[in-house]
Amino acid sequence: MTHKVKHTIDNPSQIHAMLIDGVITPCQALAMFSELDTHKIPLERSNEEESLEDIMKELDQLIGLSKVKDLVKEIQAFAQIQKKRQEAKLLTEPQVLHMIFKGNPGTGKTTVARLLGKMFKHMGILQRGHTVEVERADLVGEYIGHTAQKTRDQIKKALGGILFIDEAYSLGRGGEKDFGKEAIDTLVKAMEDYKDNLIVILAGYKDEMERFLQINPGLRSRFPIQIEFNDYSVNELMQIAKMMVEKRQYKFSPEALIKFETILQNRKNDINYDKLGNARLVRNMIEKALRRQALRLVNQKVISREDLLQIKPEDISEV
Amino acid sequence: MKQCTIIGKTNVGKTLFLINFAEYLGLKSLDINFAFNEGSEKFKNFSCKNAISNLVDENPHKTRCIQSMTLDFPMGKGKKKIKLVDTAGFIDGIHPDLEVRKAISQTLSIIRDSDIILHIIDAYAAKKQDLPSSMGEVDYQIAQFAQLKRGYAILANKMDLAGAEEGLRKIKEEFSGHVIFPISALYKRGFKEVKTFVARNI
Repeated sequence: MTHKVKHTIDNPSQIHAMLIDGVITPCQALAMFSELDTHKIPLERSNEEESLEDIMKELDQLIGLSKVKDLVKEIQAFAQIQKKRQEAKLLTEPQVLHMIFKGNPGTGKTTVARLLGKMFKHMGILQRGHTVEVERADLVGEYIGHTAQKTRDQIKKALGGILFIDEAYSLGRGGEKDFGKEAIDTLVKAMEDYKDNLIVILAGYKDEMERFLQINPGLRSRFPIQIEFNDYSVNELMQIAKMMVEKRQYKFSPEALIKFETILQNRKNDINYDKLGNARLVRNMIEKALRRQALRLVNQKVISREDLLQIKPEDISEV
Repeated sequence: MKQCTIIGKTNVGKTLFLINFAEYLGLKSLDINFAFNEGSEKFKNFSCKNAISNLVDENPHKTRCIQSMTLDFPMGKGKKKIKLVDTAGFIDGIHPDLEVRKAISQTLSIIRDSDIILHIIDAYAAKKQDLPSSMGEVDYQIAQFAQLKRGYAILANKMDLAGAEEGLRKIKEEFSGHVIFPISALYKRGFKEVKTFVARNI
């Protein structure tokens, strides 16, 4: 009988109940707990890990970014075919997947990089799939020889995953004597040494990245994948806004939607739009709106569920 | 805070060990927290002597709730707070008394949350079959379960009694591969090794 019971029990309170009711001996209860606890650890781990499908769904949910989605499908297909070729004992070539992301802030570069890391892990392209995000200050040192050391440290951290260098063009700033050059050299070396187990992504504004690649002509060929992240249209931004709000379990009233759109429309013509626009502007506006909604409600005597959910036009303001 | 739990069959000397071990660690009086299975709690302060006469009894199943105390465990130059927990004893079969069964169920949930488990086996009764504290199936099961924990040791108690040496030999045979300390809870013998063991695991 114990044997049968063992397989059907999966929560501790059930075991306790049976023990108290005198159905099982303490001995049997202990055996069940041993079984439960030994199996618990691998079970929890599998819950934490997202499946490839989940990640793909997450990517598909991102608004716009059609080029990125196409690219990911290409890479995935290639990885699968490589595996098949390996089984057929044909020659396989490790893919060079270093990338350059060009686009304004808030166009999804970092988000995509993180997703790619997770995805590549599942496809077996990367071992760990984590993303190490760095900028100039993390790579460039203060005295001669310091830079190579610092850069190497970051590379070591990123092994098995993605090294994401934000505002990478700043490494090319400052001319011949600048230590940024040293960082680039170290990076190029590491990309060769660890080509099977490291992906480097350089990210930055489109124009500045172009200039950076012109100054360092050797780099372009080492980064075979170049993706442009275009600015979002107002329509796309509105979709993003709706999704963000939904994720946080709020909703816009129809008037609020109109106001939100008008503000975005106006901002689009702003001279500084490329510096603080796009999805980041949307996120900041939403976070501001949530705070203002809270301020509006906090002194209200009776707060209904609907009140808690709804964002009204008066909550929305420019950041 | 790390939790160190004392378990074992009924009447092997768990409560006596708790009190004498606390005294050995330098406590003058004991602030014992009694947690009952229906959820209520009670605090009571005892002197060590009083505690023994109030909480220890030669009849089995004297302890029917979780008795615990927090104390500063001396470690090297400093101290570290740990929770020392005494539990209701196990039996091999199904106990007729509902209260005892509830207490055992409570013990089980405590064990699962513990970092260190001190499993007391009566060395004197190890070779005998008829005593309630005789080594039994449940002891093997405890060892099986507790090896999932970081700190698990078996304390062979009642080493002061004649014939306990033989029992110890049997315990060592049956539980080879586990850490075993011979002790006498009554005369505070073997406590130094137990203390080092606990200190190493917190």
